[in-house]
Amino acid sequence: MVAEIGHAAIWLSVFSCLWAIVLLCTGLRYRSYGAIISGRNGVVATFLLISLATGALIYGFVTDDFSMKYVAEVSSHDQPLMYKITALWGRMSGSLLFWLWLLTLFGALVVWQNRRAKDRIGDYALVPISTVQLFFIILVTGLIEGVYNPLARFPNGATLPDGAGMNPLLQTPSMAFHPPSLYIGFVSLTVPFSFAVGALAAGEIGSAWIFRSRRWMIASWLVLTVGITLGGNWAYRELGWGGYWAWDPVENASFMPWLLGTAYLHSVMIQEKRNMLKLWNIVLITLAFEFTLLGTFITRSGVISSVHAFAQSDIGGYFLGFIGFSIIGVALLIYYRWNDLKSPNRLESILSRESAFLLNNWMFVGLTLIILWGTLWPIITEGVTGTKSAVPEAFFNKVVIIPGLLLLFLTGAGPIISWKKLTQSNFKRMFAKPMLFGLFSGALMWGFLALRGHTTPVYSVLCAFGGGFVFVAIFDEFYRGAKLRAKRGETSFLHGLSRLIQRNKRRYGGYIVHIGIVILYIGIMGSKGYFLLESKSLKLGESMDVGAYTLTMEDAFRIRYSNHSRGGVVIDVAKDGKQIGTMRPARGFYDRAGQGEQDTIESAIRHFGLNDLYIALGPLPEDVPTYVRAGELVPLQVYHNPLINLVWIGVAVMMIGGVVALAEKHQMKERET
Amino acid sequence: MRRQRTKIIAASVILASAMAFLVVAGIKNTSIRHYTPDQLVANAARVNNKGVQVDGLIQEGSPNWDPKEFELTFAIRDREGESTVNVTYSKLKPDNFKEGGNVFVEGKYNAEHNLITASKLTTKCASKYEAAESAGETTDY
Repeated sequence: MVAEIGHAAIWLSVFSCLWAIVLLCTGLRYRSYGAIISGRNGVVATFLLISLATGALIYGFVTDDFSMKYVAEVSSHDQPLMYKITALWGRMSGSLLFWLWLLTLFGALVVWQNRRAKDRIGDYALVPISTVQLFFIILVTGLIEGVYNPLARFPNGATLPDGAGMNPLLQTPSMAFHPPSLYIGFVSLTVPFSFAVGALAAGEIGSAWIFRSRRWMIASWLVLTVGITLGGNWAYRELGWGGYWAWDPVENASFMPWLLGTAYLHSVMIQEKRNMLKLWNIVLITLAFEFTLLGTFITRSGVISSVHAFAQSDIGGYFLGFIGFSIIGVALLIYYRWNDLKSPNRLESILSRESAFLLNNWMFVGLTLIILWGTLWPIITEGVTGTKSAVPEAFFNKVVIIPGLLLLFLTGAGPIISWKKLTQSNFKRMFAKPMLFGLFSGALMWGFLALRGHTTPVYSVLCAFGGGFVFVAIFDEFYRGAKLRAKRGETSFLHGLSRLIQRNKRRYGGYIVHIGIVILYIGIMGSKGYFLLESKSLKLGESMDVGAYTLTMEDAFRIRYSNHSRGGVVIDVAKDGKQIGTMRPARGFYDRAGQGEQDTIESAIRHFGLNDLYIALGPLPEDVPTYVRAGELVPLQVYHNPLINLVWIGVAVMMIGGVVALAEKHQMKERET
Repeated sequence: MRRQRTKIIAASVILASAMAFLVVAGIKNTSIRHYTPDQLVANAARVNNKGVQVDGLIQEGSPNWDPKEFELTFAIRDREGESTVNVTYSKLKPDNFKEGGNVFVEGKYNAEHNLITASKLTTKCASKYEAAESAGETTDY
């Protein structure tokens, strides 16, 4: 019954959504406040209806209703409650419903935020939001082949005694939250995009729409960053290949909107300060939005072989169609408002903060295009030459490195270069110290690596140079500002620092993000550039060397859990002859073996300072202790990942910066005079 | 003003061409053929001793893990055709490595032995469930 109610709610939402679109358009066109209010109510009604449908599906999961097809496919009796609920986005139909629910939630939030706004931009923005909603509503109604309504039941009243259940690999917290945080990030990008479209439609192409959607954009960026990192962290801890990023098409699909969103976060500042780049900002946020849909196209259509996309469906075509439709719509609006999009100001010098921002945008968009090109290369070659080619990971690693390093440098140069024109005094005052320190850290890195026997570590040296430069440049910004405030307010330095950040949260939050970026870069350099991999099979009591570490297999163990058991070995870790710890890599043996579940790698990861020692265990029989004590071979795959913890720390610092920036309320009223 | 504009346009053109060069050179150096086992066998001479990507199914009964040599050997069979390709891989097999399951390898091909020495091996993504294909719906990540 509950499922049927949810089903009906989805159908009703088609009408509430159409209602919202039609009444908002009419109300805005004929300046009828009543119609606008009614349209807003339509947006809220859609949210309530889709919440009902989503609630019905969750109810199905919680009550183990295996007559529902979707529930039977992703859940089972013994699945812990938390994973019964996260099964909601376990597969495509449910993910689409979840995506739609987020979209309707954000629509309702926009209504609430703008309930007292004096202008109509918010109401204009509701029209594109509702249009995107309508697209997703139609997808989940089950009208389209290959996608079914997640609330549908098996035909003829059939029911399964137990569901198929979720893959054990996915039953971990980071995998439970990685997809929704990506979805939240993707979906919330719709809001700033809709504000851009709304501003175009309303003909109010000042900075108002940017201020209105700024916190949405920062929040979206923040959540997307978390989502991408959780995915990498999950891969690292669960998959046993010792890495966190492999340029898989799906990873790329989540990374490209992030890059474009980051470019947009920067370029809007030029519009705010100098009233330039109006058209560019609209194009950029449109692209970011389209890339969230393109990501879905790439992952769902099966056009590209990847870990994530073997199966095929028709849904890709619908996404492509909607992408085309929305691009044409925005292009027409731009054409219609062409004269309003011209900027009164021009760049005055090629060495100025404006051009630093411009270069930053170039690099972000350039990186996006490079990654897009590499990701689509199989389709391009197949289309053009008839035979499919592909680029391996090495392509991405090689090609992104130079633009990436340039971006690192800009992370420090952008905040300290002067507006309009870089003068000699600005250069001396702001650049001398960071440059010197950068050169110093570069030299230090060179010396260190040369001593270790690495011959031409050019990129590492450049990375160290950039890192040192940015650190000092940004710290100097904080130091100068705090000292000035302390002096002016006659308070302590620390108090001055806190006042400084309080007064301009976005700016200094952004600088904190920049510090996080430096930390992240150093982490990537260490872990991608200098990891060690040693593989060997050991008998009880035997040892192997990994870099400076000696690993000895001392013992074996077996532990019983509720729905699986773990068997593994105890490894003694020594460095320079001194015992520094034990590690317990294992294999997980799941009870549902009859259904084709296999044993899984349960890697042991141990932090030694910022470096990780990472041990994955090869296939073993379930009774590990007996096997090991009989003197049989145990395969060990060991990674030493230098500085990898800086990757997670760097992202954590970026998060902090993002939260600080998010805390800033928009000060539109003061600005818009 | 005019001069600044020219400078900026020039700088943009240089940057764009540098980026394009990076991509073209990168692709030229790394791009490899993507084949099904059928296609690979048909083009064997052409890609002998070159890098290739192959995707297909893990042939039932073929996988063998030798802990002493730390080496996994198996054969990939074509989804539709008859051909198979042998693979050796000297890392641990991923958790979802299943006989009859989807697999995707990247490595150097030796035509004489019809053998790929794989540097990368991926199986179906974890979030895809067995029922996926039979239920006729695409899966999620």
